[in-house]
Amino acid sequence: MGGIPLHVRRKVWLRQFLLQGCWNYEGMQNVGFAYSILPALRDRYEGRPEEFSRALKRHLEFFNTHPAMAAVILGAAIRLEERVAGGEADPRAIGTFKVGLMGSLGAIGDSYFWGALKPMASVAGAILAFVHPLLGIATLLILYNAVHLAVRYRGFAAGMGGEESAVRFLKEAGFARETENRKMVAAILGGAYAGVIASHTAFRFGGAWLELGVFLLAALAVHLITVLFRKAVSPSEVLLLLLIVGMLILWQ
Amino acid sequence: MAMQFLLVAAFGGVCYLDRTAAFQVMLHRPLVVASVVGAIFGNLAAGAQVGAVLELFYLVRLPVGASIPPDDTGAAVFGGAAAAAASSSIGLEPGNLAAILLLSVPCAEIGKVADRFVRRMNGRIADLAVDLAEREDPRAVEHGLMAGITLFGVFGMALALLFSGVGVSLARFLLPRFGPESHFQFAALLPALPLLGAASVFSCSRTERTSPAFYLTMGCVFASIFFFRWLG
Repeated sequence: MGGIPLHVRRKVWLRQFLLQGCWNYEGMQNVGFAYSILPALRDRYEGRPEEFSRALKRHLEFFNTHPAMAAVILGAAIRLEERVAGGEADPRAIGTFKVGLMGSLGAIGDSYFWGALKPMASVAGAILAFVHPLLGIATLLILYNAVHLAVRYRGFAAGMGGEESAVRFLKEAGFARETENRKMVAAILGGAYAGVIASHTAFRFGGAWLELGVFLLAALAVHLITVLFRKAVSPSEVLLLLLIVGMLILWQ
Repeated sequence: MAMQFLLVAAFGGVCYLDRTAAFQVMLHRPLVVASVVGAIFGNLAAGAQVGAVLELFYLVRLPVGASIPPDDTGAAVFGGAAAAAASSSIGLEPGNLAAILLLSVPCAEIGKVADRFVRRMNGRIADLAVDLAEREDPRAVEHGLMAGITLFGVFGMALALLFSGVGVSLARFLLPRFGPESHFQFAALLPALPLLGAASVFSCSRTERTSPAFYLTMGCVFASIFFFRWLG
């Protein structure tokens, strides 16, 4: 039996974008994962309905990870299914591999994509939107998707190379280092954004000492809000408080 | 006007799909959504003005595991529609901008509740799909996924229609009722809002190494603008 044909791999790669299509609280991404891997299972277990059914059930079990990082697990799961179909591996190895990797890849992906790359792209887009809205939008989409799509593509290819290739990809990608770097860029851009806002507000008052006072007040406000966020206060709660203050102003 | 609402509903459906169910290519970010909705209602720049501030508000709430962050896509639909409508009638001056940004908060919370409801409904679809797949019908997985996506899309369209309608109504009927004095007083709150966004970015990126970088950049940018302004 030959390897998985290119058109099947392409189909699986495209289907991974719908991984969260049926996201639910019980199985989370289980239906999405089974849907994504289905073309590969159909190819591997053609003419073997019982084995196909067992393979499908394996992938309908609980699954949850970061959607972009799922590409690595998806690729490696296909490679493992190939070996199971050829009688070279134990089917239980697939479940063990998925469970073993989804938690750690979820944590890495959440920290990298949601905690570093998205804030960096967002603040860059927000700053450049002041120059021109379309420039801001393009910056946000390009900064995020250049990395996001590359991880989905290279991660899937690495997973298809087997477990060792997947681990090598994760090591070489250096997500921990990249997370730190992107957080640094986000902090610098966030600081620049806050500096522009503080100066814009300060110049309304006039007078060097007053302007400096407004700047210090702005820095203090950012610090205090950050402390509130660390104490699990939601941005909505801070905004609702401001809304109530606004309503009281209107009431007067 | 009906055509504009239809366009917003279609675009909103795509954005809500991008938010969770499909792609995740950031089409659902407030900067994109508010700008496009603003353009649909006739003013891209006004929408972008709201979107650029909303973009950073909720970054600190990460969609980790089963936690659902506030619906900033819905807030952006509301904000983009309200900003464009206000700019063509009463003007988008700081008081109106602050009011629109603050009134988008209930939309974000309503959207969050709707998102939770869709995910609960998806639980039933998933159970049915798994049950049928285990009874030797593999197509149930494909049908189940498509049902889930349809649910996300339909809810997204409905929410986009609701929030854009509320946004336009607010800008046309509620904001003009406030006098110029109220507008001026409300405008005093405006600088706090982008600072909240900056604090959100700072909270996401905060480490021992990045904290000095944030404050140092803030000070340098402020000092540079001050210096060039002083030069004349």
